[in-house]
Amino acid sequence: MTGDGSAPRRLVDIASVVRSKNAGPLHVTLDLMFPDAESFGLAAQSPALSATALAELYGVDPDTVEVIPFAAAHAIKVVLDRPVIAGSPGDVDVYGAQQHRPLLGVVL
Amino acid sequence: MNVVAPLRDRAIRPGRDALRVLAASGQLGNGIAVTAFRAGLARQPHVIGCDMGSVDPGPAYLGSGRMATSEAVTRRDLRLVIHGARDVGVPLIIGSAGTAGAAPHVALVLDMIGAIAREDSLPLRVAVIHADTDRAWLKQQVAAGRVQSLGRAMPALTAAEVDASAHIVGQMGTEAFLRALALEPDIVLAGRACDTAIFAAVPVMLGYPEGLATHMAKIIECSSLCCTPGGPDAMLGTLHADAFEIESMNPIRAATPVTVAAHGLYEQSNPHEVREPHGTLHLTDARFEALDHRRVRVSGARWADAAQPSIKLEGSSWCGERAVTIAATCDPGVIAHRDAIAEGVRGAVADILPDASYDLRVRVYGAGATNLYPGARTGITDAGEAFLLIECIAPTADLAKAVVGLAKQKMLHFGFPGRLSTGGNLAFPFTPPELSAGAAYRFSVYHVAECDDLAAAFPVELVRLGP
Repeated sequence: MTGDGSAPRRLVDIASVVRSKNAGPLHVTLDLMFPDAESFGLAAQSPALSATALAELYGVDPDTVEVIPFAAAHAIKVVLDRPVIAGSPGDVDVYGAQQHRPLLGVVL
Repeated sequence: MNVVAPLRDRAIRPGRDALRVLAASGQLGNGIAVTAFRAGLARQPHVIGCDMGSVDPGPAYLGSGRMATSEAVTRRDLRLVIHGARDVGVPLIIGSAGTAGAAPHVALVLDMIGAIAREDSLPLRVAVIHADTDRAWLKQQVAAGRVQSLGRAMPALTAAEVDASAHIVGQMGTEAFLRALALEPDIVLAGRACDTAIFAAVPVMLGYPEGLATHMAKIIECSSLCCTPGGPDAMLGTLHADAFEIESMNPIRAATPVTVAAHGLYEQSNPHEVREPHGTLHLTDARFEALDHRRVRVSGARWADAAQPSIKLEGSSWCGERAVTIAATCDPGVIAHRDAIAEGVRGAVADILPDASYDLRVRVYGAGATNLYPGARTGITDAGEAFLLIECIAPTADLAKAVVGLAKQKMLHFGFPGRLSTGGNLAFPFTPPELSAGAAYRFSVYHVAECDDLAAAFPVELVRLGP
């Protein structure tokens, strides 16, 4: 419970889409979409979705994380460098479509 | 039958006429939905476009020269759109032929179109645009410092990498399609192309604003994926001088301002701008308004010509032959000691083949093997059962198979502290569990090169097919 008595809000409780996908073979993008301006605003202001916090969540250098809010779509885009080029030996996810898992535990 | 000249002769003009662009498919060869496509034809489009390609399925298609889609379904889809365009009497534009758009892919698709032309007695004029990058030119650009990597994961390009690549293609833009349309074809068949250029070319040819045309193309290129529910049905874009409207040709799919704006994020690293060879599409001021419950009107996109044209390049290199062994375990000790067992197996194989060069990997599914970021907090805990994929890439298929066979045998009987199940550590679903997986490729080029002559980079030829 938070100070005002409300339960901590999890990303998965307010987002309508939490997905990952390649943006070309060198980057993975995480798209967070929200049903309305209010929930988008809540997420966009959360320190849990800052580049620093997301870098820690994914265990990567903050300089390799870019967070781009896109108000027209009630969405936040996050771009990560790929540690392995898509489809190269040692890749584990050629389309990058299963890299959203760490976000499922985010508390805003 | 001449289909390009009438578009010009009818003097379709922005400000007076609405220009209708039908996107038949986001990936031709995956099965075009007939009902929605026919509904699109009934709206009398001025051009029909299909994208065939993507870099998404990985480097194997560009490297091997093969298509990702099956030949039978690709032929079926091609026949459908060729006849559709002919019935309406408009040009058909196909981009990124055969998945990767290199010479063998273009040749495969051209063969298929030729077979359809003969079987169905259709005389067809096909303007073919090649996308293969001239290696001597590229090496000159590398030497002149005019080639940049598109991300930290890809090192700077070298002449050696250029030579080692199986195929290298550039993504052509609207400019190349305009030259192809000038040859008065029935069909434009392009090698690797920007998805947008396929759908923006005819609007730009007729004088519609490049920003709006390119933005509309960007949205409809995945057909009805920008709708709710999203799907592969044909999508119609109607372009005016100051805005465009988009509508799915399947009545159950609704384009709303939010779903359309959201589609701008898909597979893009920046929702505010899209870079093309000869300029950039700026979307910061784009506006999305509902026309009704399933149609959206979009305006506000701006186009800025590039001072220096550039081409996004994709190249793929062979890196060996792949073999795999598949197995599973439900022993908690094997799962707990997986890393030590894998390391031990790697050493045991190296003892037997000390002079061989190969790349051996053990992937343990059920224990985080899908995670691309080693330090990520996934919250995944060990499962009670795990799937093991033992993979080897080696210079020959025989060696790759030998290595995974050895690794399988060593892993089956590998000891670990507290081992009770001495009959074997693994369950095999069938025998033999070793499978050859064919050639392995990697993206060797994903760079942008400055280019002073786009016409030389993407040459056009006219091919006559059929009777």
